[in-house]
Amino acid sequence: MVDTTKNTQIYTTWGRNVAKPVNPNVAGKIISKAKRPLLVVGSEILNGDHLLVEKTIAIAKKGIPVAATGHSITALIDKDIEAKYINVHSLGHFLGDKKWGGLDGQGPYDTILFLGHKKYYLDQVLSGLKNFTDLKTVAIERHFIQNATLSFGNLKQEVHLEALDEFIENL
Amino acid sequence: MSDIETGLFSIDELENVQITIGKIVGAIEKKAKEEGVEVGPTPKPGISGLRDWDFTLLSRYQPVYTPVCDQCCYCTFGKCDLGGNKEGACGINMEAHQARETLLRVITGAAAHAGHGRHILHHLIGLYGKDKPIDVGPSNLVAPNTQAVTGIKPETLGDLEEVMDYVEEQLTQLLATIHAGQEGAAIDFESKILHGGMLDHVGMEVSDLAQISCLGMPKSDPEAPLVEIGMGCIDSSKPVLLVIGHNVAGVTNIMDYIHEHDLGDKMELAGLCCTAIDMTRYQTDQGQLPQAKVIGTLAKELKMIRSGVPDVIVVDEQCVRADVLDEAKKLSIPVITTNEKIMYGLRNRSKDSAADIIEDLSSFKEPGALILDFDVLGEVAPELAIKMSKIRDEMGINALPSEEELQELSEKCVQCGACEMDCPTNLPIMAAMKAGIDKDFSKFENLHDKCIACGRCDQACPKDIPVLNMIEKASQKLIREEKGLMRAGRGQISDPEIREEGVNLVLGTTPGIIAMVGCSNYPNGTKDLYLVADEMLKRNYIVVMSGCSAMDLGMYKNEDGETLYEKYPAKFLAGNLINVGSCVSNSHITGTAIKVAAIFAQRQVSGNYEEIADYITNRIGAVGVAWGAYSQKAASIASGCNRLGIPVVVGPHGSKYRRALIGKPYQKEDWKVYDARDGSEMPIPASPEFLLTTAESIEELLPMLAKNCIRPSDNNMGRMIKLTHYMELSQKYLGHMPEDWYKFVRMETDLPLAKREELLKILEKDHGWEIDWKRKKILSGPAMKSDVSAQPTNVKRLCKGEC
Ligand code: SF4
Ligand code: SF4
Ligand code: SF4
Repeated sequence: MVDTTKNTQIYTTWGRNVAKPVNPNVAGKIISKAKRPLLVVGSEILNGDHLLVEKTIAIAKKGIPVAATGHSITALIDKDIEAKYINVHSLGHFLGDKKWGGLDGQGPYDTILFLGHKKYYLDQVLSGLKNFTDLKTVAIERHFIQNATLSFGNLKQEVHLEALDEFIENL
Repeated sequence: MSDIETGLFSIDELENVQITIGKIVGAIEKKAKEEGVEVGPTPKPGISGLRDWDFTLLSRYQPVYTPVCDQCCYCTFGKCDLGGNKEGACGINMEAHQARETLLRVITGAAAHAGHGRHILHHLIGLYGKDKPIDVGPSNLVAPNTQAVTGIKPETLGDLEEVMDYVEEQLTQLLATIHAGQEGAAIDFESKILHGGMLDHVGMEVSDLAQISCLGMPKSDPEAPLVEIGMGCIDSSKPVLLVIGHNVAGVTNIMDYIHEHDLGDKMELAGLCCTAIDMTRYQTDQGQLPQAKVIGTLAKELKMIRSGVPDVIVVDEQCVRADVLDEAKKLSIPVITTNEKIMYGLRNRSKDSAADIIEDLSSFKEPGALILDFDVLGEVAPELAIKMSKIRDEMGINALPSEEELQELSEKCVQCGACEMDCPTNLPIMAAMKAGIDKDFSKFENLHDKCIACGRCDQACPKDIPVLNMIEKASQKLIREEKGLMRAGRGQISDPEIREEGVNLVLGTTPGIIAMVGCSNYPNGTKDLYLVADEMLKRNYIVVMSGCSAMDLGMYKNEDGETLYEKYPAKFLAGNLINVGSCVSNSHITGTAIKVAAIFAQRQVSGNYEEIADYITNRIGAVGVAWGAYSQKAASIASGCNRLGIPVVVGPHGSKYRRALIGKPYQKEDWKVYDARDGSEMPIPASPEFLLTTAESIEELLPMLAKNCIRPSDNNMGRMIKLTHYMELSQKYLGHMPEDWYKFVRMETDLPLAKREELLKILEKDHGWEIDWKRKKILSGPAMKSDVSAQPTNVKRLCKGEC
């Protein structure tokens, strides 16, 4: 079992309300229990050797719809998963709107999962969600994302990949 | 009673008494009447003057707040935790506080430009007098922002003083609203933000009009000369005088001295940031060659200083690092401050002789000097550089680590990760350190272009490793090759150019203006700008550059060894690349849009901001891109564009401005306007979708640009062209056909000819539209009609029969 809760050091602060560190198995179960989860995937999945693309597809195959931000969609087309492009800043705006029908017209989401984003950018988007919505947000990034509700800690790349595998097993 | 005029008067009976009449109530209207100019309803609007227009915009484009800090520490009731939109002790909630924080950024930026404007105006009036005519090229509408906002049609430098008075008074009123315990409504802070942005463009315009008129800068000149740019274009064997900042006032004296004493070939005069741009505009309006070189943006500042190459540094104002003196001292480089905004604690030597100052600085008695007298400055800076060059050569200054030291420093690294976490872009420094142990420094080299030289890594490292110096040392070869060309800033777009191109912009047959502005805090290095500009230019958009973006664009060459400034012509026509100039020249971008409304569409411009903004919102496909926006000035520039309905995209770092303005395309009722012909409602396409937002990567940005140039006024040809680019760019960069393309189709002729049949099939099959296949016509389906004679407006009073 991978422990992803140890290093939660932060380098700048947004305020008092900081993400709770979470282990992959627990994160997996939370997502499984969610009524309307959404996986928000950023362009950083395209970096390096595309290992995060595989993980994204594996998560999506468990039936979780994907909001592909930036140009991450380029790696997710024709993969037999439900993925749609959307700008992450717009998404942050729409997620807080109870009248938004979602990417598929099926209504609002309740639990939002994040992978493959620039740390500073995601923390900004999440600061909006943290302060102005009651959505549960879960960051399964390599870095501790302090504005999420729950987040992995700061991890080495190999540990991160292992953690994602464990997370996927628990979905 | 006879008419009273402004000016200085004596009264016959009363000796020694003089009366000065400054301003007369109703003077703008009176003067305008005399000149046959009609003044609209809002000359010199106060804070609430354009509030209704702001609310119209804000009902479609809602503020999206992403706080950078959940707390407020404005007053001693606090700190207050506003997390979760709680109220602080004064009653303000998180939303309103975020809007207030944004307002503070915007008016800080506007004040920086306005302060610059006032300074240079005062300086130039001192040299040329109040009656010096404004001369910026072959235009009648010389000050579109100023005229639309204030109703004043300035003709002389003296006329600009009244404009600055207005801007300064309004900025003070806005600053007053930041004080704790007043405004509680976020929406009203939002309106104030837009007001501050609008004022910014007036302040910028004043700065540039004054300097273009007096300093021999290009006047709407598409043939403005090409200028050498890059760290690699500096000959470091000569004495190097480095100038940093935004206000060229004092630097022109240095340039005159160099010219008069024939020192041009004997030394290098180079600049960073907008002073550099304006130095290369100085005295070039008669075809003369620029007398200075450009090094680049703020991101090159610390690198340039730490290279040890400059022999003297002169700073003026705005984007100048706060630690220039400390950094320069370490390398025995004297620093001269020349503007009250930056004085670094240095002794004021303005009244001393040049010889004394040179002696004190070259003997290191003092690390620098404050010189506010520009004649003294003009002599000291170049002479000191010549002297220091010899002294520093003899001292054998070693600025950067040797290769051996690079390896030793790499070994010192304990891989703690503090530098990476503190780095604004989280660059992979640890991997570079690891490779450095084996003398492989290529990973440091890879960091060079992405590193904005902020120096935070150095501060974070517990082992005191000079990370930035290591990056710079490892990149020496790359830096030597950093040589490019930038077109000198041409100033505004002239009236005749607007007459020629305005119609194409309004009908959409020129698909849009992409204005690439702002600073160097890019998410992924400088080349992104080149890629975006080239792609849009190939597609016939007009690409307009300014400030730091204009510089970075010139750093890259295509396969034929050409920069984009050489590849594309610089007229105001489709497929042309324009550099308007420095930061303050951004006012010419909004000015261009105002000119289209005023000149092409003959809308009344003076004091008629709302109508002009409404025209631009519905008809001019222009999008601003501030891909590396970092400063408060970028925030105010964007807000000024926004009040005119011009959308702006910033790079991901721009999310830290903490508020965006984004519409909801799925909310149909938000996408309606009136048809001014009869006041009836008409649906419009959801474009622009935002007034201010961020994008994650240029691959995402490119299709966004094309889509957000779509406007209700496009004719079929225009819509077809814009839609084609939107679809092609989505396919090229996002690998798919955009989901919403069909929403922009009004009739079959909006569809690209080559793909018409294929697209009609999709419309029929996927969207249930009715097609007459014989005539290849759409019978039903589109949400809106195509009617080129419709008059889209957001303002009910502009509709027929309303007033
Ligand atoms: S201004 Fe208001 S929210 Fe801010 S510290 Fe003072 S009382 Fe608290
Ligand atoms: S100087 Fe460069 S590497 Fe260091 S923190 Fe700043 S951007 Fe990162
Ligand atoms: S902070 Fe210093 S010691 Fe730590 S990883 Fe960076 S360079 Fe190495």
